Amino acid sequence: MTATAHVPNKRKWRGPKWGLAIPSFIWYTLFFVAPIAIIVLYSFGTKDSTQLVPVDLGNLGLHNYREVFSELFFDVFASTLKIAVFATVLCLVIGFPVSYFIAFKVSEKWRAILLAMVVIPSFTSFLIRTIAWRIPLSANGELSRWLQDIGVLDAPFDVLGTKTAVFLAIVYNYVGFMVLPMFVALDRIDPSLREASKDLGATRSSTFMSVTLPLSGPGVIAGIILTFIPMCGDYVTATVLGGTKGLMVGALIDSQFRGSQNWPQGSAMAVLMIVMVLLSLVVGAALVWLVRKLLRFARPAVDRYRSRPRREPTPSRIPDLLRPLLAVWTGLVLLFLFIPIFLVIRHSFNDGPSFSVWSGRYSTVWWGGAPGRTPAGIPMVGLFDFAEAGPMLVRFAVIMAIGIALPYVYRAITGAHNRHLRRWSALVAFVIAIVVNGMMTDWYLTIFQQAGVGEGLRGSFLAAFGATIIAVTIGGLCGVALARHPGKWSAVMMALLFLILVTPEIMDAIALAGWMQRIGGPFNSDTLGVPFGMLRLWVGQSLYASAVVTLIVRARLAGLDSSLEEAAADLGAPPGRAFRQVTLPLISSALIAGGLLSFTLCLDNTIISSLISGASSTFPVALISATKSEIKPFWGVGSVVLFVMTMALLAFVARVLKKSGDSSAQIAATLGGG
Amino acid sequence: MTKPNEPMRMLAPDSFRSVLSRRALFQVGGAAAGLAILAACGDDSSDSSGGSDTTAASGGSTGGGSDLLSQFSNVVNTASGSLAMFTWGDYNDPDIVGALAESTLGVTMKVDYYPSNEDLITKLSAANGNSGFDIVVPTGPYIPQMLEKGLLQKFDKSLLPNIVNVDPQYLGRDWDPGNEYSVCKDWGSTGWIYNSKVITTPITTWQEFMDATKGAASGRVSWLDSSPNVVGPYFWANGIDWNTEDTADLDACEKYLVDEIAPHIKGFDSYPSTAIAEGQYDLCMAWNGDARQAYARIADAGGTPEDWVWALGAPETELWMDNYCIPTGAPNVEGAHAWINWLLTPEISIKDLLYHGYHSGMKDIDKLMAELAPDAPRVDMIFFPEDLVATMRTGEVNSAQDRHTEILDKMKAAAAG
Repeated sequence: MTATAHVPNKRKWRGPKWGLAIPSFIWYTLFFVAPIAIIVLYSFGTKDSTQLVPVDLGNLGLHNYREVFSELFFDVFASTLKIAVFATVLCLVIGFPVSYFIAFKVSEKWRAILLAMVVIPSFTSFLIRTIAWRIPLSANGELSRWLQDIGVLDAPFDVLGTKTAVFLAIVYNYVGFMVLPMFVALDRIDPSLREASKDLGATRSSTFMSVTLPLSGPGVIAGIILTFIPMCGDYVTATVLGGTKGLMVGALIDSQFRGSQNWPQGSAMAVLMIVMVLLSLVVGAALVWLVRKLLRFARPAVDRYRSRPRREPTPSRIPDLLRPLLAVWTGLVLLFLFIPIFLVIRHSFNDGPSFSVWSGRYSTVWWGGAPGRTPAGIPMVGLFDFAEAGPMLVRFAVIMAIGIALPYVYRAITGAHNRHLRRWSALVAFVIAIVVNGMMTDWYLTIFQQAGVGEGLRGSFLAAFGATIIAVTIGGLCGVALARHPGKWSAVMMALLFLILVTPEIMDAIALAGWMQRIGGPFNSDTLGVPFGMLRLWVGQSLYASAVVTLIVRARLAGLDSSLEEAAADLGAPPGRAFRQVTLPLISSALIAGGLLSFTLCLDNTIISSLISGASSTFPVALISATKSEIKPFWGVGSVVLFVMTMALLAFVARVLKKSGDSSAQIAATLGGG
Repeated sequence: MTKPNEPMRMLAPDSFRSVLSRRALFQVGGAAAGLAILAACGDDSSDSSGGSDTTAASGGSTGGGSDLLSQFSNVVNTASGSLAMFTWGDYNDPDIVGALAESTLGVTMKVDYYPSNEDLITKLSAANGNSGFDIVVPTGPYIPQMLEKGLLQKFDKSLLPNIVNVDPQYLGRDWDPGNEYSVCKDWGSTGWIYNSKVITTPITTWQEFMDATKGAASGRVSWLDSSPNVVGPYFWANGIDWNTEDTADLDACEKYLVDEIAPHIKGFDSYPSTAIAEGQYDLCMAWNGDARQAYARIADAGGTPEDWVWALGAPETELWMDNYCIPTGAPNVEGAHAWINWLLTPEISIKDLLYHGYHSGMKDIDKLMAELAPDAPRVDMIFFPEDLVATMRTGEVNSAQDRHTEILDKMKAAAAG
């Protein structure tokens, strides 16, 4: 701006600074502020279950709040907070070494692979992955039986329905959200700072303590916010494994709305909850501030201790252990993330009526014991009994060997590589081996005819596409405005974005459901060929996603010099053209990153979607409705299909990005939302 | 390699399968009913998409298959398009909401599940006549409230001729005396199932059930995740009206359940059969049909079903009835009627019954069972003698509803400890 101050340019941007943020302001006012305001209003009303919206607003008062201020609410809130805080700390402790290892200890190629591996498990429904943990953890499950067979355990173990299971479920689902932002922060640390520290004679540990750790602060904070806040509002994850022990405050609110239809009291609880979550964040921030103050106060003493005379640091063997230790740790964490994926895939081949209880053609009886029969009465084959399972194992091995050897044979004969052959033949052989051995169930052939699954998958992709387009459009514009035309308005917008991220999903869901019904019009009847259920999903899923896109775009542009755009303006480019030809290419990678992240978030959106959508439901909505009773194996099949489809989509995007010249690590970081 | 949709996978007897397939053969040969199949197969392009042509006349005496079945109305109307049902979890034979509906009626089905009547009402209210569902299955006492909100539409009785097959004692209930909006899907009751290897003293009453919850089974018990059902045992055991609105009674109930019972409960689980098979519980409060399914699950998981004992609640227990209804604004009203009417034919009704394990309200049901499924296992968990039925109470939706929810919430909080 300063450069053009003396040269009036008629074609420069003349509108208000927040012009580009107008769509966001309109969108959030319509679909966030207004519905939440109504929920706040409901919280002063009285229950009246004879009406369609069971709230009587004739007699406003504080009575709901008086009732909500009960032992029950605060007990449950306290236990929610305890679980969330402890789980956040666990995520931090487990995730930090992983982020550190990926950021500093591996080559660029491995960095991309490892980052991708952190993200990949989240490409299929979180619900089925969490449910899959029931398989190894159940008391009558294989693991428990094997451990008893070999004498490690005397009795079946009993993990499901305990606090351990609660933490396992939560940490499993959130540790990725901790690793990624911390990686991004660590990755942005200028390597020269760490080198300078080393050159100046600092030991590894003091470099870590006084350079790396302080600079990783923003990433740690982002990670904590991204895990802690959704945990407070999440009341599904913990109960899948933890049963009653996973009771969260969100469940209490949910039971007011959907249990006793007491919307006013549910609203009061929701308002109180959001206030409490914000309060606990403030308390947390205050604690951090206090600790920093204390540290600064203690600084002289620490420095004196550090600069105490000591022996010349001899190159010890201990630091050499650091890298392998970190590698093992990272490997274990990745294994932890992938175990449910393997289990989902295996149990998608389950012949029995229940997803988590294995009753396939091949029994997994360890040794001793008779393999029994499948529910259809077919005798099972013991997988570890070679006399019986041998032919199958041999067939499998032969086909796999052919698949693996094929590219080399091809090369030996023709003398040339075949890229496609090398890439695909082993995979194809694996699929053939499964089909030939009759291990594939008919679920895979009939999956799209199963009630809820085919339609759910289609609905999921349609909804996620629409919502992502909205999110990228309004989020992208708003992000540019925030980065390039900041002003007083940006404080308002940032507060709004923060509120959107903080508001528990259940509150958004109820607010939106009621609001859309109130608006009517295209939200209650198909308009211009758009099914109203789909429109509801687009709007509902776009809120959180657009906030994420906005923040990513803003972060990207904030790191870039604005001189290019100014140059374009100085050279007489009209604002529209400058935007198209300069700004857009600058933010394109951020838009893609944001778009991808929002796409995966939308695919997994459960609570909002389940409350606002009608029969036009998505896969997670259908799946969560199926968890009300027994989960059939075809849900595993559907999840595998979802997984493959998402992988294919992202592989395509990665290809496009690669063509446009990004390095693989950049791509991985982009895909991971960095 | 087995068929995932093996129709009779559950606890169905083999003989029923043979009856069905035998009759299917007769029907293909038979003039009237055969048309329905042909039309649905798409061979007949002239009228297969024309909505609800009645292609099968009543009578069902096709080829003289059975005298008994010919005493029932067997009208099957075809329809077209898709049909969305919102119902309780795992509540219909997968075939009846899948391939068989498509081949017989010409409709493709989509099924979503809800965990409670209130959830159903919330969702229908939020959509305000635009939920997109064609069939819903509320429990009787909730129907007046749904009518008050205008959530249900009247049946076109001319499209439900098979309603004459329903035993009159399951028609004309308080909530819908003329059956203008609802017809019985099935009814059931509540009791418990326990592992007799762990709990060695037999449990015969609700008081003993609650004592076992606190005692032998402590920490390995599940209760239903349904507020009227969790307050039930206390009132039934103490001879208090289950539907009481008396504050003192409700207070005492809350105190006992929250302070003494809840800390021993491991889960609030309305469908505990998978968790039983996984080895999570030793004692579960359960609806009779789900308890019956648990036996199959235990066998699937390699356990011993014989160790498990079922008992119906005593001295009093529940009687609930779920009903097929058509919500306001249903996109495929004709299809909904056709499907509900189809479910009221004796063979489909029994086929469905064998899957979910609840009395479907057909008249002469013992004769039907004797004819169609003589060797069905554990029928004592489906059909109850008159003297037991006399101890069953129907729930009401009254001012105590909020208290019931509050008690369940408090129990959950106490169980979370």
